[in-house]
Amino acid sequence: MATTTTITEPVPIFKLAHRYLLYDVDVVTYLRREHNIAGVFIGTLPQASQQNVFLGLPLELMPEEARLLVEKGAAHIVDDVAEHKQNFLAKGLGTEERKAYQAALRKQGLGAAKEASKKSDEKKKNALKKMATENWNDIPDDMFDSAPRRGRRAPQAKQEVPATSSDVSDEETLFASSANSFPASSIISRTASNASTPGLEPYGVTPTTSYPPLQALTIDDGKKDELPVVPKSYPVYRHLHDKGYFLAPGLRFGCQYMAYPGDPLRFHSHFLCNGMDWDQEFDLLDLVGGGRLGTGVKKGFLVGGEQPSNSKINESKEGEKPEVRTFCVEWGGM
Amino acid sequence: MADADEDVIPRGPSKGEDVDLSDETQDFRFLTSISKENATIPKRGEKDFESHGTALQSNTLAASRQAMHNALSFQRVHQPKGLTVGHYHPETNMAYSDNPKGPLFARMGHVRSAKDDPLGDEDARRRGQRLWFLPEEVLYLIERGTLDLRWPPLDGDEGQMGLPMSLQAAYAMFIGDEDTHDGALTLERYSVYSSLKRSGYTVLRAPSWDSPGPPLSSHCYPPSPQRTWQPGFFSTATLRKLFFSQSSDQDEQSQITGPIIKPGLYRDYATIYKRLSLIPFYDPTTATQPSSQNDPSTDPAFRITYHVWKPGSPKFKKSAPGPPDFRIAVINARETTPPTLEQLGSLLETTPYDAPNPEGQMNANLKYGYKNVILAVVDQGVTSYLRIADAAFGMEKVYERKAQRGGKRGGRGGGRGRGRGR
Repeated sequence: MATTTTITEPVPIFKLAHRYLLYDVDVVTYLRREHNIAGVFIGTLPQASQQNVFLGLPLELMPEEARLLVEKGAAHIVDDVAEHKQNFLAKGLGTEERKAYQAALRKQGLGAAKEASKKSDEKKKNALKKMATENWNDIPDDMFDSAPRRGRRAPQAKQEVPATSSDVSDEETLFASSANSFPASSIISRTASNASTPGLEPYGVTPTTSYPPLQALTIDDGKKDELPVVPKSYPVYRHLHDKGYFLAPGLRFGCQYMAYPGDPLRFHSHFLCNGMDWDQEFDLLDLVGGGRLGTGVKKGFLVGGEQPSNSKINESKEGEKPEVRTFCVEWGGM
Repeated sequence: MADADEDVIPRGPSKGEDVDLSDETQDFRFLTSISKENATIPKRGEKDFESHGTALQSNTLAASRQAMHNALSFQRVHQPKGLTVGHYHPETNMAYSDNPKGPLFARMGHVRSAKDDPLGDEDARRRGQRLWFLPEEVLYLIERGTLDLRWPPLDGDEGQMGLPMSLQAAYAMFIGDEDTHDGALTLERYSVYSSLKRSGYTVLRAPSWDSPGPPLSSHCYPPSPQRTWQPGFFSTATLRKLFFSQSSDQDEQSQITGPIIKPGLYRDYATIYKRLSLIPFYDPTTATQPSSQNDPSTDPAFRITYHVWKPGSPKFKKSAPGPPDFRIAVINARETTPPTLEQLGSLLETTPYDAPNPEGQMNANLKYGYKNVILAVVDQGVTSYLRIADAAFGMEKVYERKAQRGGKRGGRGGGRGRGRGR
């Protein structure tokens, strides 16, 4: 992956109203890559906001997924509501921190504004060029570069916006001459104090996460995190996850989980899974219905449960996980 | 069109293909074909059956993941020109904006009257323009990058603006903190709200949002037969009914004692079949409104949550929305079991009487039912829509069926409430 942001475990999972959400794109991709946790995107993608095929952050985790990550020590649960209330409504954040946060956001906004004006300049330039080349052929290229009137003058040194294409950076050097440059701080203070300055007005930014300004706390006081409450199908979930499957909520196919042999981005699911108690009785009709449905959609119908360890025999093996057994039903249609 | 962006809604799948792409995780590499202009929904991405350890496969997966990462890293920025700034109001867990800009606000938000406005009536002119947003509305507007919401300013903040509220903070406040405000917005309800809004529907809270709702009105019952009586005039239908019911009474008498079908002269089969139909059946048209006030007896888990209007519906006005096109009940799959007949019955009782077209085809009519409601079942962020209708099989006489022209299949796929933005 090109984007390698180091993630330090345990990652925070944000809990609100008994749901488990993730907001950080790096954490989301990290868990997908390293822990086979896909989750479900439930948010709107701002760049394509009127469709339901591709969804964006936040990512909702099943309680099973949150539990598994916490048990592994890969994540811890953060009470997001309390955190936000304390820091933003009460004065949990110091004045300095707030100032720094605002400055950082303004910088991002400025970057976005620059990007946008660059894009529109580029467009204009291309349009002019197109028009011009139809009429005259020997006009120097420089003529079509728009005048440096839009405060594209901040030094490149601390830019967060990556200059992606080469011609963009070329253009940048064209105007980063010392005559036009201001220190970045002066631009910020100018635009803040007076919006009518010829400098670029920073765009408003709505950050996706609240970290920063909030600081991720690592809980080291020995107190164990409260484990997410999971349904009784959890042993089957954990068992299949251990085998390398990606599991997704399965109500669409009338089951508890759908098991994918790899990342659901790339693979079709193999099994419709239902977890049960070992001695649980269920209708034979469920087995028939599930088997028929599964075969109809080219998947296997899988039932599984945790085999209770016989306490008299296995007393010596204390601490060992009880065995989970799964059974797959396929409709023969003979 | 509520929004310029709606033009970008991909308009349905190509002909003959009835595949719901949102059913499955799609390859994010196809997203670019949606974000661009004159977009079409991508074809189903080619997926593999299982890992075969080839470099090609792992490279494709890496590319898909990278595309997903890029798409998700998109930052919400607001141009100063069309900026709508909102302010969070912690006491009510709502937000307001003094200068809403854009066509989206024609169908969202509401103006409060002087005595209802939590900010009071200090500046009447500003109050008239101030739009209040319910939690789900704010969250949706933030999420699609339309609203720049600010925390309440504290001492030491520059100007009158508080810190910008992040998406995460918005979820924490508007959904996580609903409990302490006695609000009823849950993540499931919000998921359904935003997915309907993304499809272009107009969505408002139903009166039974957080209470049993108003007593059942006359709309919930079939129009009473008295209405067809007009002064000094019997409609032919009423007359016929009068005579017909008399003769059928006589028939019943003779059926008890004598043969079901008396020997005699029958000119058509319908008369014979009519006499053969001895078993009483459920007739939703005979339900009558009780004279006393009838409060709905719905189970809290099965109540109508949203009223939904089709996109571009000309009838919709924010001040007088009119009857909705759909009624949706949001259900949490993890916390409820399939509804019992009783739960469903009392839920359907609260929906208005909506008889099928008497001229319509039998199958379509059966599917349409006499009352209907849409269930949106949410399982951990995955929503399935089901249309439940109060069908009356006894009302559709098979022996009266007219010869069918054309195809056998009647009606549109009523079960799939999932809109395509049309």
